[in-house]
Amino acid sequence: MAVVLLPAVLAAEAGGQKRFELDAPTVGEALRGLPVRNLLFDEAGELRRLINVYVDGVDARGGRLLEEPLTPTSEVRVVGAVAGG
Amino acid sequence: MAVLLPIGTRKGFFLVRSDGGRSWDVEGPLLPGWAVYHAMVDPRDGALHAATNNPFYGASTHRSGDGGKTWERAEELGLPEESRLKLNATWHLEPGADSELWLGADPGVLFRSDDGGMTWQVNRGLLEHPTRERWQPGAGGMCTHSIQLADGIMYVAISAAGTFRSEDGGGSWTPINKSVAAEFMPDPYPEVGQCVHKLLVHPKRPERLWQQNHCGVYRSDDRGDTWDRLDGNGLPTSFGFPLALDPEDPDVAYVIPEQSQEHHFTAEGRLGVYRTSDAGASWELASDGLPDRAWVAVLREGLAYDDDGNIYFGTQNGSIWTAPPGGGQWTEAVRDLPPILSVEAATG
Repeated sequence: MAVVLLPAVLAAEAGGQKRFELDAPTVGEALRGLPVRNLLFDEAGELRRLINVYVDGVDARGGRLLEEPLTPTSEVRVVGAVAGG
Repeated sequence: MAVLLPIGTRKGFFLVRSDGGRSWDVEGPLLPGWAVYHAMVDPRDGALHAATNNPFYGASTHRSGDGGKTWERAEELGLPEESRLKLNATWHLEPGADSELWLGADPGVLFRSDDGGMTWQVNRGLLEHPTRERWQPGAGGMCTHSIQLADGIMYVAISAAGTFRSEDGGGSWTPINKSVAAEFMPDPYPEVGQCVHKLLVHPKRPERLWQQNHCGVYRSDDRGDTWDRLDGNGLPTSFGFPLALDPEDPDVAYVIPEQSQEHHFTAEGRLGVYRTSDAGASWELASDGLPDRAWVAVLREGLAYDDDGNIYFGTQNGSIWTAPPGGGQWTEAVRDLPPILSVEAATG
């Protein structure tokens, strides 16, 4: 199962849990399976602009982002964009 | 009497407590990582509520039923797809006339909750208001920052859309901006587009409304049908954000003017609170104990009264000041908090 790692604010909103194991074929399905999905996606279902997603250390925005395929050993890391200094 | 101040800050929610005002205890930050635009205690059940915003994770609300130990976040807060609008920020929470809770938000929208803030339904009358295309965002966004309920009538104020009144529980909204200036517009007295900064209704005289506006301080004695401009009689400037009304005396109000719309810090280089005791005919400086060389800012939610008549305000440099009923000497109750966005006061 793929592993999703959350930063501190999201982990607090997920009841203190920062590591999730999910059986999901893509990044999008993994993120939508999280209890904090409405903090990751806006009301139109779009990934919020300042959220970056790394799959095995590679920025998924440089690839297919939500359609990026996952394997059972994938590690997905959600990171707030470094912006504004 | 014990007082509890729910404080919203740029870096989370704080609870400030005192038993008689001799010493102050600070608990927090609760909800770290969230900018709390408005923090309040619902007097009906004691629950804590927060309008919470995060630059990465969007706008939400949080509720705690156990004094801040644990929190629940609102589910699926957003705007309907057909509106083509997106929720930008949550601004103000207000207990309703019955069991409901109201939420003001950006872009100029209002929500209602009937389950204590866990789910929210957008108010269609305001969302689909026929004048909406003439509204525009102020510097803080197009925020619904003031919600008032009095005598069966509901009021909202939006920057920069103006003040609206509903006499049918929020079904329809009438603009009430006659003779309120919008000096930044080609027509300085439009039907809508005024930049209200804070609107309050006096609890014991519900036909009396006050507003601190981008372009002056105003009072209405007829539920907003007409307004009288009140600055120029002792106020150093017409610009400012916070406003407080003495709950016992409808003629007493407080404002904290700022230098100008370009310079958002206290006027004349002093932290000056101005008080009127004659319904705005004249204003006097009430700043005993406050620094007379200061360039700070007090935001629109930053000034509050408690039930005993004590007055409080919080600054952008993290201090909370308090004065006894009727004014008098100000004392710095708390300092070095994060930038303060909102101050409320509950006694008990």
